Amino acid sequence: MSSIERQNAGLQSRPVTRSQPMFHRVLRADPHEVRKTLVDMRNRFASAVDADAMGRLELVLAEVMNNVAEHAATQGVGSGCMHLCIVMQDNGLSCAITDDGSRLPADCLKPRSLPALDPLDLPEGGFGWFLIQGLTQSLCYYREGPRNCLAFTVPYTPVS
Amino acid sequence: MPTLTVTETEDQLIITVEDARIDAAIATRFKDRLREIVLRVRKPVRMDMRHVDFMDSSGLGAMIAVRKALPESLPLVLDGLTPNVERVFRLTRMDSVFQIGSASAP
Repeated sequence: MSSIERQNAGLQSRPVTRSQPMFHRVLRADPHEVRKTLVDMRNRFASAVDADAMGRLELVLAEVMNNVAEHAATQGVGSGCMHLCIVMQDNGLSCAITDDGSRLPADCLKPRSLPALDPLDLPEGGFGWFLIQGLTQSLCYYREGPRNCLAFTVPYTPVS
Repeated sequence: MPTLTVTETEDQLIITVEDARIDAAIATRFKDRLREIVLRVRKPVRMDMRHVDFMDSSGLGAMIAVRKALPESLPLVLDGLTPNVERVFRLTRMDSVFQIGSASAP
């Protein structure tokens, strides 16, 4: 195809490019940096996304990024940084988190149930991946050389 | 450090959480501080959560640790849960373990 043909392709039906909030951040894998990033992320999307979706998005991202900070970005492996990117699509908020820490254990992506609720010895952890799986759609993982890539969508209702 | 306002009456302990976030950045200190308070006083506890607008699973873990630190005979009531905090208790079924009191006024 010549450059002229490409320029003219679908000229009539091409949708107008919209300007929508996006979010991209490279951050140190540290709970304080995660907190700061989440606060900035909330400010970026608050006017465009309903409060319920905003809460679900913030919770999922907190769980994923704190897992990276705690497990993947262990000392001596990788740079100790992670990348976050969020794009508003019509069908949801598409999120990608990548890091160059240790590989995500396959168990995390298998269907999760809640940890056993023993009233005499309540579980204090093990909720993170249950929440991530329950609040996201199209959750997928890819190991690209030294990098973990995790992507998913969080459904939302646009604020008009 | 987590900011807690503690009021002791004759028959209960009222703890107001002043922090807006109970997350991984604060969870361990939050748990240690609260455990120390409830173990020292040994009375029914009411926690006022209305200032907390975000809690993640590490924050939930801290709350569960505090519940476990109290003898089962002593209630731990959570008042003023905001929607983001209530969601975490509900999704993890931990709303059956804590006594959830009045919700946060909108």
